[in-house]
Amino acid sequence: MENSVSKLSTEEIAQELNRAFAEEVEAATRYLHLRSAVRGLDRVIVDRVLKDAFHETIEHAENIAQKIRSLGHVPKLDIRVNCPNEPLSGREALRQALIFEEEALECYQDLLKKVEGDVPLEEFVRSQIALEYEHVAQLKELLVE
Amino acid sequence: METWKEFDQNIITHSAAHHLMAIDDLVGKLGYARVSDIARQLDITRGSVSISLKPMKEAGLVLQDENRHLRLSDKGQRLVNAVKNKRLLIQRLLSELLGVSEQQAEIDACKMEHLTSNATARRLVAFFRFIDSHEQPAGEFLATWQAHDRGSDEKPESCPTGENKCAADNVPEA
Repeated sequence: MENSVSKLSTEEIAQELNRAFAEEVEAATRYLHLRSAVRGLDRVIVDRVLKDAFHETIEHAENIAQKIRSLGHVPKLDIRVNCPNEPLSGREALRQALIFEEEALECYQDLLKKVEGDVPLEEFVRSQIALEYEHVAQLKELLVE
Repeated sequence: METWKEFDQNIITHSAAHHLMAIDDLVGKLGYARVSDIARQLDITRGSVSISLKPMKEAGLVLQDENRHLRLSDKGQRLVNAVKNKRLLIQRLLSELLGVSEQQAEIDACKMEHLTSNATARRLVAFFRFIDSHEQPAGEFLATWQAHDRGSDEKPESCPTGENKCAADNVPEA
């Protein structure tokens, strides 16, 4: 189906949103794992951060799924997560979280360029960027030596 | 060391091999490779690519510049070249010699390429040098094998296991 404002068709937009959906669901799964992989006293420090991030990431995924549905599509999910059974320090867990949060942020930044002209969609993507930006900033702050 | 334990000692995993080959492929096609390009090529998330690349960067196989463009180090390139060659050799062995369909040979070669030792790969190179030599014994070898293969189903008593049961009975047809 043609989208009158955006450069992409509705089908292509749904496809791009599916990618963002996969990023978020995968990130949530990784948060769940990171939270259980942190050992020792570090748990006390980072457990809350990782738990909150997990819930927020699930919320982001739900927002995207809702957006995909509003385009008349059903969200597609294809993820392959492999998390090793190695204990992590709190710092290492936050470092890993920063890696995938930065990728999620870039994913939305790229998506924004693609949906230029479709104001509601642009606004939606902008709001996701703001949220991801906050996540990244928070993680960077926690990782300051 | 028991053979199965060697799988854990392998320098790269199956997934890592595909990441490295994707970088090589993208740099060849586009002149650069970004995480997003690799993610699209492998049909996985960017997060997954970035997490997977971390140990490869630490091992000095992948380099990243200030624009976050990725490329293989000399060590990474040597590894990719070796894996690609092994894939071609195994594919040839399976399809040309054993008569496995090209599609299946590609799938199986993909599974074996990064696990095959350099020693085995070198023996395969030597073997294909013989096959490609166009010397009479090579032609005769191939012709004998092909004739035997065509008639082998009719002689279950010549099964390679040499035990009570034919090996083929334990391997169901696809």
